[in-house]
Amino acid sequence: MGYDGKKRYRWRILIGQVALLLACLGMIEYLVRAEIVGSLYLSKPTQVAEEIYKLFADGEIFHDLLVTLKEFAAGYLLSAFAGIATGMFLVLVPHAENFFRPFLSALLAIPKVTIIPLLMLWLGIGLSHKVAIVFLFCFFTIAFNTITGIKQTAEAHLKVARVFEASKLQTIVKVILPSAAPTIFVSLRVSAATGLVGALFGEMVASKDGLGNLLVQATSLYDTAKAFGIITVVTVVSVLIIGVIDLLEKRVVLKWKSS
Amino acid sequence: MAGFEVRGVSKVYGGATPTETLSNIDLTIEDGEFLSILGPSGCGKSTLLEILAGLQLPTSGEVWFGGAKLKGPGIERGVVFQDPSLYPWRSVAKNVQLGLEMRGVAKGERREDAQRYLDLVGLKGFEHKYPHHLSGGMKQRAGLARALANGPEVLLMDEPFGAVDHLTRLQLQDDLLRIWEAEKKTVVFVTHDVSEAVFLGDRVVLLSPRPGRINRIFQVPQARPRRRDDAGLLKIQNDIYAAIHEVKSSESLEFTI
Repeated sequence: MGYDGKKRYRWRILIGQVALLLACLGMIEYLVRAEIVGSLYLSKPTQVAEEIYKLFADGEIFHDLLVTLKEFAAGYLLSAFAGIATGMFLVLVPHAENFFRPFLSALLAIPKVTIIPLLMLWLGIGLSHKVAIVFLFCFFTIAFNTITGIKQTAEAHLKVARVFEASKLQTIVKVILPSAAPTIFVSLRVSAATGLVGALFGEMVASKDGLGNLLVQATSLYDTAKAFGIITVVTVVSVLIIGVIDLLEKRVVLKWKSS
Repeated sequence: MAGFEVRGVSKVYGGATPTETLSNIDLTIEDGEFLSILGPSGCGKSTLLEILAGLQLPTSGEVWFGGAKLKGPGIERGVVFQDPSLYPWRSVAKNVQLGLEMRGVAKGERREDAQRYLDLVGLKGFEHKYPHHLSGGMKQRAGLARALANGPEVLLMDEPFGAVDHLTRLQLQDDLLRIWEAEKKTVVFVTHDVSEAVFLGDRVVLLSPRPGRINRIFQVPQARPRRRDDAGLLKIQNDIYAAIHEVKSSESLEFTI
Protein backbone atom coordinates (compact mmCIF):
# COMPACT_ATOMS: atom_id res chain seq x y z
CA MET A 1 0.00 0.00 0.00
CA GLY A 2 1.51 3.33 -1.08
CA TYR A 3 1.21 6.62 0.74
CA ASP A 4 -1.90 7.59 -1.22
CA GLY A 5 -3.41 4.19 -0.61
CA LYS A 6 -2.88 4.52 3.15
CA LYS A 7 -4.38 7.99 3.15
CA ARG A 8 -7.45 6.81 1.28
CA TYR A 9 -7.78 3.88 3.66
CA ARG A 10 -7.69 6.20 6.66
CA TRP A 11 -10.35 8.45 5.15
CA ARG A 12 -12.63 5.50 4.48
CA ILE A 13 -12.30 4.35 8.09
CA LEU A 14 -13.02 7.86 9.36
CA ILE A 15 -16.11 8.25 7.17
CA GLY A 16 -17.37 4.88 8.38
CA GLN A 17 -16.84 5.86 12.03
CA VAL A 18 -18.68 9.18 11.64
CA ALA A 19 -21.50 7.40 9.86
CA LEU A 20 -21.87 4.88 12.70
CA LEU A 21 -21.89 7.66 15.30
CA LEU A 22 -24.55 9.63 13.43
CA ALA A 23 -26.61 6.48 12.97
CA CYS A 24 -26.55 5.78 16.73
CA LEU A 25 -27.47 9.37 17.61
CA GLY A 26 -30.18 9.36 14.94
CA MET A 27 -31.59 6.12 16.30
CA ILE A 28 -31.82 7.55 19.83
CA GLU A 29 -33.39 10.73 18.47
CA TYR A 30 -36.01 8.63 16.70
CA LEU A 31 -36.68 6.33 19.68
CA VAL A 32 -37.32 9.28 22.01
CA ARG A 33 -39.30 11.37 19.46
CA ALA A 34 -41.54 8.43 18.61
CA GLU A 35 -41.95 7.87 22.36
CA ILE A 36 -40.81 4.26 22.09
CA VAL A 37 -38.45 5.15 24.99
CA GLY A 38 -39.66 7.68 27.54
CA SER A 39 -37.82 11.01 27.74
CA LEU A 40 -37.21 10.28 31.43
CA TYR A 41 -34.86 7.45 30.50
CA LEU A 42 -33.13 8.82 27.41
CA SER A 43 -32.83 12.25 25.87
CA LYS A 44 -32.87 13.39 22.29
CA PRO A 45 -29.30 14.24 21.25
CA THR A 46 -30.60 17.55 19.90
CA GLN A 47 -32.02 18.39 23.30
CA VAL A 48 -28.77 17.38 25.04
CA ALA A 49 -26.86 19.68 22.69
CA GLU A 50 -29.30 22.45 23.58
CA GLU A 51 -28.77 21.81 27.29
CA ILE A 52 -24.99 21.94 26.90
CA TYR A 53 -25.36 25.23 25.04
CA LYS A 54 -27.55 26.57 27.84
CA LEU A 55 -25.10 25.46 30.55
CA PHE A 56 -22.36 27.50 28.92
CA ALA A 57 -24.55 30.37 27.69
CA ASP A 58 -25.88 31.35 31.12
CA GLY A 59 -22.44 30.63 32.65
CA GLU A 60 -23.96 28.30 35.25
CA ILE A 61 -21.44 25.57 34.62
CA PHE A 62 -18.24 27.63 34.81
CA HIS A 63 -18.26 27.88 38.59
CA ASP A 64 -18.77 24.13 39.04
CA LEU A 65 -16.27 23.26 36.32
CA LEU A 66 -13.67 25.38 38.03
CA VAL A 67 -14.39 23.81 41.43
CA THR A 68 -13.99 20.30 40.04
CA LEU A 69 -10.84 21.16 38.14
CA LYS A 70 -9.32 22.79 41.21
CA GLU A 71 -10.05 19.74 43.38
CA PHE A 72 -8.64 17.45 40.73
CA ALA A 73 -5.52 19.49 40.03
CA ALA A 74 -4.61 19.92 43.71
CA GLY A 75 -5.16 16.24 44.58
CA TYR A 76 -3.50 14.99 41.43
CA LEU A 77 -0.37 17.11 41.67
CA LEU A 78 -0.03 16.32 45.34
CA SER A 79 -0.32 12.59 44.70
CA ALA A 80 2.10 12.76 41.76
CA PHE A 81 4.81 14.43 43.86
CA ALA A 82 4.15 12.36 46.95
CA GLY A 83 3.82 9.14 44.95
CA ILE A 84 7.07 9.59 43.05
CA ALA A 85 8.88 10.72 46.22
CA THR A 86 7.55 7.76 48.21
CA GLY A 87 8.50 5.32 45.47
CA MET A 88 12.00 6.74 45.29
CA PHE A 89 12.37 6.69 49.05
CA LEU A 90 11.32 3.06 49.29
CA VAL A 91 13.72 1.79 46.63
CA LEU A 92 16.69 4.05 47.19
CA VAL A 93 16.86 3.91 50.97
CA PRO A 94 18.18 0.49 51.97
CA HIS A 95 15.68 -1.73 53.81
CA ALA A 96 12.88 0.85 53.45
CA GLU A 97 10.90 -1.21 50.98
CA ASN A 98 11.20 -4.43 52.96
CA PHE A 99 10.03 -2.60 56.06
CA PHE A 100 7.20 -0.49 54.67
CA ARG A 101 5.87 -2.72 51.89
CA PRO A 102 3.27 -4.60 53.99
CA PHE A 103 1.90 -1.33 55.36
CA LEU A 104 1.67 0.18 51.90
CA SER A 105 0.06 -2.94 50.48
CA ALA A 106 -2.51 -2.96 53.28
CA LEU A 107 -3.37 0.69 52.64
CA LEU A 108 -3.60 -0.03 48.93
CA ALA A 109 -6.04 -2.86 49.57
CA ILE A 110 -8.57 -0.66 51.36
CA PRO A 111 -11.37 0.18 48.91
CA LYS A 112 -10.95 3.95 48.90
CA VAL A 113 -14.67 4.75 48.52
CA THR A 114 -15.34 3.31 51.95
CA ILE A 115 -13.30 6.06 53.61
CA ILE A 116 -15.18 8.89 51.93
CA PRO A 117 -17.76 9.26 54.75
CA LEU A 118 -14.96 9.30 57.35
CA LEU A 119 -13.05 11.86 55.34
CA MET A 120 -16.22 13.95 55.41
CA LEU A 121 -16.21 13.72 59.17
CA TRP A 122 -12.58 14.79 59.37
CA LEU A 123 -12.40 17.37 56.61
CA GLY A 124 -15.96 18.61 56.03
CA ILE A 125 -17.48 18.67 52.56
CA GLY A 126 -15.34 21.37 50.98
CA LEU A 127 -12.20 21.48 48.85
CA SER A 128 -9.90 19.58 51.21
CA HIS A 129 -12.36 16.64 51.34
CA LYS A 130 -12.24 16.23 47.54
CA VAL A 131 -8.49 16.82 47.36
CA ALA A 132 -8.00 14.01 49.86
CA ILE A 133 -10.22 11.69 47.83
CA VAL A 134 -8.39 12.45 44.57
CA PHE A 135 -5.10 11.93 46.40
CA LEU A 136 -6.15 8.52 47.71
CA PHE A 137 -7.40 7.48 44.27
CA CYS A 138 -4.04 8.35 42.62
CA PHE A 139 -1.25 8.04 45.16
CA PHE A 140 -0.77 4.27 45.40
CA THR A 141 -0.73 3.62 41.66
CA ILE A 142 1.90 6.30 41.16
CA ALA A 143 4.02 5.13 44.11
CA PHE A 144 3.98 1.47 43.04
CA ASN A 145 4.71 2.30 39.41
CA THR A 146 7.63 4.46 40.50
CA ILE A 147 9.01 1.49 42.43
CA THR A 148 8.61 -0.79 39.41
CA GLY A 149 10.12 1.80 37.09
CA ILE A 150 13.18 2.38 39.24
CA LYS A 151 13.78 -1.35 39.49
CA GLN A 152 13.81 -1.54 35.71
CA THR A 153 16.96 0.56 35.55
CA ALA A 154 19.40 -1.50 33.52
CA GLU A 155 22.38 -2.86 35.45
CA ALA A 156 24.60 -1.93 32.51
CA HIS A 157 23.45 1.70 32.65
CA LEU A 158 24.34 1.87 36.34
CA LYS A 159 27.74 0.39 35.57
CA VAL A 160 28.39 3.20 33.09
CA ALA A 161 27.56 5.73 35.81
CA ARG A 162 29.93 4.00 38.21
CA VAL A 163 32.77 4.07 35.69
CA PHE A 164 32.25 7.83 35.40
CA GLU A 165 32.33 8.14 39.20
CA ALA A 166 28.80 9.55 39.34
CA SER A 167 27.62 10.72 42.76
CA LYS A 168 24.50 9.20 44.30
CA LEU A 169 22.46 12.26 43.32
CA GLN A 170 23.81 12.24 39.75
CA THR A 171 22.96 8.57 39.45
CA ILE A 172 19.39 9.25 40.56
CA VAL A 173 18.83 12.28 38.34
CA LYS A 174 20.72 11.17 35.24
CA VAL A 175 20.15 7.41 35.22
CA ILE A 176 17.44 6.16 37.55
CA LEU A 177 14.70 8.72 36.99
CA PRO A 178 15.01 8.71 33.18
CA SER A 179 14.88 4.89 33.28
CA ALA A 180 11.75 4.99 35.42
CA ALA A 181 10.04 7.80 33.48
CA PRO A 182 8.08 5.65 30.99
CA THR A 183 6.61 3.49 33.77
CA ILE A 184 5.82 6.53 35.91
CA PHE A 185 4.00 8.15 33.00
CA VAL A 186 1.81 5.10 32.55
CA SER A 187 0.62 5.56 36.13
CA LEU A 188 0.20 9.31 35.67
CA ARG A 189 -2.13 8.69 32.74
CA VAL A 190 -4.15 6.02 34.51
CA SER A 191 -4.49 8.07 37.68
CA ALA A 192 -5.56 11.18 35.78
CA ALA A 193 -8.73 9.33 34.82
CA THR A 194 -9.32 7.73 38.22
CA GLY A 195 -8.50 11.00 39.98
CA LEU A 196 -11.22 12.81 38.09
CA VAL A 197 -13.61 10.01 39.00
CA GLY A 198 -12.61 10.55 42.63
CA ALA A 199 -13.37 14.25 42.51
CA LEU A 200 -16.75 13.70 40.82
CA PHE A 201 -17.73 10.88 43.13
CA GLY A 202 -16.83 12.93 46.18
CA GLU A 203 -19.01 15.75 44.89
CA MET A 204 -21.89 13.39 44.23
CA VAL A 205 -21.74 12.04 47.77
CA ALA A 206 -21.34 15.30 49.66
CA SER A 207 -20.73 18.79 48.39
CA LYS A 208 -22.26 22.17 47.68
CA ASP A 209 -20.88 22.60 44.20
CA GLY A 210 -18.80 21.00 41.43
CA LEU A 211 -19.83 19.06 38.33
CA GLY A 212 -20.70 15.97 40.37
CA ASN A 213 -23.02 18.03 42.51
CA LEU A 214 -24.60 19.59 39.42
CA LEU A 215 -25.20 16.13 38.02
CA VAL A 216 -26.91 14.92 41.19
CA GLN A 217 -29.12 17.99 41.18
CA ALA A 218 -30.12 17.37 37.56
CA THR A 219 -30.97 13.72 38.12
CA SER A 220 -32.88 14.39 41.32
CA LEU A 221 -35.06 16.80 39.34
CA TYR A 222 -35.47 14.15 36.62
CA ASP A 223 -33.79 16.54 34.18
CA THR A 224 -32.35 13.73 32.06
CA ALA A 225 -31.26 15.94 29.18
CA LYS A 226 -29.23 18.16 31.48
CA ALA A 227 -27.68 15.10 33.13
CA PHE A 228 -26.57 13.81 29.73
CA GLY A 229 -25.24 17.28 28.96
CA ILE A 230 -23.11 17.28 32.13
CA ILE A 231 -21.89 13.76 31.43
CA THR A 232 -20.78 14.91 27.98
CA VAL A 233 -18.92 17.90 29.45
CA VAL A 234 -17.20 15.68 32.06
CA THR A 235 -16.13 13.24 29.37
CA VAL A 236 -14.60 16.03 27.30
CA VAL A 237 -12.76 17.31 30.40
CA SER A 238 -11.38 13.83 31.05
CA VAL A 239 -10.19 13.46 27.46
CA LEU A 240 -8.53 16.88 27.60
CA ILE A 241 -6.68 16.10 30.83
CA ILE A 242 -5.32 12.85 29.41
CA GLY A 243 -4.40 14.75 26.25
CA VAL A 244 -2.31 17.18 28.29
CA ILE A 245 -0.50 14.29 29.98
CA ASP A 246 0.12 12.57 26.65
CA LEU A 247 1.61 15.80 25.36
CA LEU A 248 3.87 16.03 28.39
CA GLU A 249 4.92 12.42 27.95
CA LYS A 250 5.74 13.03 24.30
CA ARG A 251 8.01 15.90 25.28
CA VAL A 252 9.76 14.03 28.07
CA VAL A 253 9.91 10.42 27.00
CA LEU A 254 8.71 9.48 23.57
CA LYS A 255 11.30 11.25 21.48
CA TRP A 256 13.88 8.64 22.39
CA LYS A 257 11.64 5.60 22.33
CA SER A 258 11.74 3.45 19.24
CA SER A 259 8.21 3.31 17.96
CA MET B 1 52.76 5.69 34.33
CA ALA B 2 49.56 4.07 33.29
CA GLY B 3 50.32 0.40 33.47
CA PHE B 4 48.70 -2.32 35.56
CA GLU B 5 50.29 -4.73 38.00
CA VAL B 6 48.00 -7.68 38.64
CA ARG B 7 49.27 -9.77 41.54
CA GLY B 8 47.81 -13.12 42.46
CA VAL B 9 44.24 -12.11 41.66
CA SER B 10 41.51 -14.66 42.26
CA LYS B 11 37.77 -14.19 42.13
CA VAL B 12 35.28 -16.50 43.78
CA TYR B 13 31.56 -15.92 43.47
CA GLY B 14 29.83 -16.88 46.66
CA GLY B 15 26.49 -18.57 47.17
CA ALA B 16 25.57 -22.13 48.05
CA THR B 17 28.17 -23.55 45.68
CA PRO B 18 31.04 -21.05 45.38
CA THR B 19 32.58 -20.99 41.94
CA GLU B 20 36.10 -19.85 41.30
CA THR B 21 36.07 -17.63 38.21
CA LEU B 22 39.65 -16.44 38.21
CA SER B 23 42.57 -18.24 39.77
CA ASN B 24 45.87 -16.65 40.71
CA ILE B 25 46.34 -14.21 37.83
CA ASP B 26 49.73 -12.51 37.63
CA LEU B 27 50.04 -10.00 34.83
CA THR B 28 51.91 -6.81 34.06
CA ILE B 29 50.34 -4.48 31.52
CA GLU B 30 52.81 -1.91 30.19
CA ASP B 31 52.07 1.75 29.67
CA GLY B 32 50.93 2.37 26.09
CA GLU B 33 50.61 -1.33 25.33
CA PHE B 34 47.78 -2.91 23.35
CA LEU B 35 47.02 -6.10 25.21
CA SER B 36 44.51 -8.67 23.99
CA ILE B 37 42.92 -11.03 26.47
CA LEU B 38 41.63 -14.10 24.70
CA GLY B 39 39.56 -16.94 26.01
CA PRO B 40 36.41 -18.99 25.52
CA SER B 41 33.18 -17.82 27.12
CA GLY B 42 33.06 -18.53 30.82
CA CYS B 43 36.81 -18.19 31.31
CA GLY B 44 36.43 -15.07 33.45
CA LYS B 45 37.93 -12.62 30.97
CA SER B 46 35.11 -10.11 31.45
CA THR B 47 35.51 -10.49 35.21
CA LEU B 48 39.20 -9.73 34.89
CA LEU B 49 38.38 -6.61 32.87
CA GLU B 50 35.83 -5.46 35.44
CA ILE B 51 38.43 -5.92 38.16
CA LEU B 52 40.83 -3.73 36.17
CA ALA B 53 38.00 -1.19 35.80
CA GLY B 54 37.39 -1.29 39.55
CA LEU B 55 33.77 -2.38 39.06
CA GLN B 56 34.51 -5.57 40.98
CA LEU B 57 37.02 -6.31 43.71
CA PRO B 58 39.15 -9.44 43.60
CA THR B 59 38.49 -12.03 46.30
CA SER B 60 42.21 -12.25 46.90
CA GLY B 61 45.29 -10.62 45.39
CA GLU B 62 45.62 -7.01 44.37
CA VAL B 63 45.76 -4.75 41.35
CA TRP B 64 48.07 -1.75 41.16
CA PHE B 65 47.54 0.98 38.65
CA GLY B 66 50.10 3.74 38.07
CA GLY B 67 51.73 3.17 41.44
CA ALA B 68 48.57 3.02 43.54
CA LYS B 69 46.43 0.13 44.64
CA LEU B 70 43.03 0.01 42.90
CA LYS B 71 40.03 0.64 45.11
CA GLY B 72 37.24 1.37 42.64
CA PRO B 73 36.32 2.82 39.27
CA GLY B 74 38.17 5.90 38.09
CA ILE B 75 37.83 8.37 35.27
CA GLU B 76 41.40 7.65 34.14
CA ARG B 77 40.26 4.19 33.10
CA GLY B 78 37.67 4.35 30.32
CA VAL B 79 35.48 1.31 29.72
CA VAL B 80 33.86 0.25 26.46
CA PHE B 81 31.19 -2.33 27.19
CA GLN B 82 30.15 -5.36 25.22
CA ASP B 83 26.64 -3.99 24.96
CA PRO B 84 27.44 -0.32 24.37
CA SER B 85 24.89 0.63 27.05
CA LEU B 86 24.15 4.05 25.63
CA TYR B 87 21.38 5.85 27.48
CA PRO B 88 18.39 5.64 25.13
CA TRP B 89 16.93 8.90 26.49
CA ARG B 90 20.00 10.90 25.46
CA SER B 91 21.07 11.95 21.99
CA VAL B 92 24.39 10.58 20.75
CA ALA B 93 26.19 13.84 21.58
CA LYS B 94 24.66 13.91 25.08
CA ASN B 95 25.73 10.31 25.63
CA VAL B 96 29.30 11.14 24.72
CA GLN B 97 29.20 14.12 27.10
CA LEU B 98 28.03 11.98 30.01
CA GLY B 99 31.36 11.60 31.82
CA LEU B 100 32.21 15.27 31.35
CA GLU B 101 28.79 16.20 32.72
CA MET B 102 29.35 14.08 35.82
CA ARG B 103 32.58 15.96 36.45
CA GLY B 104 30.92 19.33 36.04
CA VAL B 105 32.74 20.43 32.88
CA ALA B 106 31.18 23.61 31.46
CA LYS B 107 28.61 23.17 28.73
CA GLY B 108 30.52 24.77 25.86
CA GLU B 109 33.70 22.87 26.62
CA ARG B 110 31.71 19.68 26.97
CA ARG B 111 30.19 20.11 23.56
CA GLU B 112 33.56 20.79 21.92
CA ASP B 113 35.28 17.82 23.54
CA ALA B 114 32.44 15.49 22.65
CA GLN B 115 32.39 16.77 19.08
CA ARG B 116 36.10 16.13 18.65
CA TYR B 117 35.71 12.48 19.62
CA LEU B 118 32.52 12.04 17.63
CA ASP B 119 34.47 13.20 14.59
CA LEU B 120 37.36 10.91 15.51
CA VAL B 121 35.20 7.79 15.65
CA GLY B 122 33.38 8.76 12.47
CA LEU B 123 30.00 9.80 13.88
CA LYS B 124 29.97 13.32 12.45
CA GLY B 125 26.42 14.20 11.49
CA PHE B 126 24.84 11.78 13.98
CA GLU B 127 25.17 14.02 17.04
CA HIS B 128 21.47 14.65 17.43
CA LYS B 129 20.26 11.15 16.65
CA TYR B 130 19.07 8.89 19.44
CA PRO B 131 20.74 5.50 20.02
CA HIS B 132 17.83 3.54 18.52
CA HIS B 133 18.56 5.25 15.20
CA LEU B 134 22.11 3.83 15.11
CA SER B 135 23.35 0.50 13.77
CA GLY B 136 25.23 -1.85 16.10
CA GLY B 137 28.61 -0.71 14.79
CA MET B 138 27.70 2.95 15.18
CA LYS B 139 26.54 2.35 18.74
CA GLN B 140 29.95 0.86 19.53
CA ARG B 141 31.61 3.89 17.96
CA ALA B 142 29.53 6.12 20.21
CA GLY B 143 30.48 3.97 23.22
CA LEU B 144 34.14 4.38 22.29
CA ALA B 145 33.74 8.16 21.91
CA ARG B 146 32.01 8.29 25.31
CA ALA B 147 35.01 6.59 26.93
CA LEU B 148 37.57 8.69 25.04
CA ALA B 149 35.87 12.03 25.77
CA ASN B 150 37.10 11.91 29.37
CA GLY B 151 40.72 11.68 28.29
CA PRO B 152 41.43 8.36 30.04
CA GLU B 153 44.92 6.93 30.21
CA VAL B 154 43.61 3.43 29.64
CA LEU B 155 40.85 1.96 27.52
CA LEU B 156 39.31 -1.25 28.86
CA MET B 157 37.30 -2.92 26.12
CA ASP B 158 35.03 -5.89 26.81
CA GLU B 159 34.33 -7.75 23.56
CA PRO B 160 33.27 -4.45 22.05
CA PHE B 161 32.86 -5.78 18.51
CA GLY B 162 31.24 -9.08 19.45
CA ALA B 163 27.76 -8.19 18.26
CA VAL B 164 28.48 -6.57 14.90
CA ASP B 165 28.72 -8.24 11.49
CA HIS B 166 32.10 -9.42 10.25
CA LEU B 167 32.86 -6.67 7.71
CA THR B 168 31.86 -3.90 10.12
CA ARG B 169 34.03 -5.58 12.68
CA LEU B 170 37.11 -5.44 10.47
CA GLN B 171 36.45 -1.75 9.82
CA LEU B 172 36.05 -1.08 13.56
CA GLN B 173 39.35 -2.87 14.25
CA ASP B 174 41.16 -0.68 11.71
CA ASP B 175 39.58 2.44 13.17
CA LEU B 176 40.46 1.42 16.71
CA LEU B 177 44.12 0.98 15.75
CA ARG B 178 44.11 4.38 14.04
CA ILE B 179 42.66 5.98 17.18
CA TRP B 180 45.04 4.07 19.45
CA GLU B 181 48.00 5.36 17.45
CA ALA B 182 46.67 8.91 17.50
CA GLU B 183 45.76 8.93 21.22
CA LYS B 184 48.58 6.82 22.67
CA LYS B 185 46.53 5.03 25.29
CA THR B 186 47.03 1.74 27.02
CA VAL B 187 44.36 -0.64 25.68
CA VAL B 188 43.18 -3.88 27.27
CA PHE B 189 40.98 -5.64 24.75
CA VAL B 190 38.94 -8.69 25.71
CA THR B 191 37.78 -10.95 22.89
CA HIS B 192 37.00 -14.56 22.03
CA ASP B 193 38.11 -14.10 18.42
CA VAL B 194 41.66 -15.40 17.83
CA SER B 195 42.34 -13.40 14.65
CA GLU B 196 41.04 -10.23 16.25
CA ALA B 197 43.25 -10.71 19.30
CA VAL B 198 46.35 -11.27 17.15
CA PHE B 199 45.63 -8.54 14.60
CA LEU B 200 45.16 -5.90 17.30
CA GLY B 201 47.47 -6.78 20.16
CA ASP B 202 51.13 -6.33 21.06
CA ARG B 203 50.62 -9.36 23.24
CA VAL B 204 47.85 -11.91 23.50
CA VAL B 205 47.04 -13.39 26.90
CA LEU B 206 45.34 -16.74 26.48
CA LEU B 207 43.11 -17.73 29.40
CA SER B 208 41.95 -21.25 30.04
CA PRO B 209 38.53 -21.80 31.54
CA ARG B 210 37.04 -22.91 34.85
CA PRO B 211 38.71 -21.36 36.73
CA GLY B 212 40.27 -18.69 34.51
CA ARG B 213 44.03 -18.99 34.56
CA ILE B 214 46.72 -17.59 32.30
CA ASN B 215 47.52 -20.38 29.89
CA ARG B 216 50.17 -18.64 27.82
CA ILE B 217 51.17 -15.19 26.69
CA PHE B 218 51.94 -14.76 22.99
CA GLN B 219 54.11 -11.92 21.73
CA VAL B 220 52.99 -10.31 18.47
CA PRO B 221 56.10 -8.42 17.33
CA GLN B 222 54.79 -7.52 13.84
CA ALA B 223 55.00 -3.82 13.03
CA ARG B 224 51.88 -1.81 12.26
CA PRO B 225 50.13 -1.26 9.96
CA ARG B 226 49.62 -4.99 9.80
CA ARG B 227 48.09 -7.02 7.00
CA ARG B 228 45.51 -9.55 7.98
CA ASP B 229 47.11 -12.15 5.67
CA ASP B 230 50.62 -11.58 7.07
CA ALA B 231 52.30 -14.98 7.35
CA GLY B 232 53.75 -14.13 10.78
CA LEU B 233 50.32 -13.23 12.18
CA LEU B 234 48.79 -16.38 10.75
CA LYS B 235 51.57 -18.44 12.34
CA ILE B 236 50.79 -16.93 15.75
CA GLN B 237 47.09 -17.63 15.21
CA ASN B 238 47.90 -21.26 14.48
CA ASP B 239 50.01 -21.51 17.62
CA ILE B 240 47.12 -20.12 19.64
CA TYR B 241 44.64 -22.58 18.07
CA ALA B 242 47.04 -25.38 18.94
CA ALA B 243 47.28 -24.17 22.53
CA ILE B 244 43.48 -24.00 22.79
CA HIS B 245 43.23 -27.52 21.38
CA GLU B 246 45.72 -28.77 23.96
CA VAL B 247 43.64 -27.33 26.77
CA LYS B 248 40.52 -28.95 25.40
CA SER B 249 42.06 -32.40 24.96
CA SER B 250 43.62 -32.39 28.41
CA GLU B 251 40.23 -31.42 29.84
CA SER B 252 38.37 -34.18 28.04
CA LEU B 253 41.08 -36.58 29.16
CA GLU B 254 40.27 -35.68 32.75
CA PHE B 255 36.65 -36.49 32.05
CA THR B 256 37.33 -39.90 30.55
CA ILE B 257 39.58 -40.98 33.42
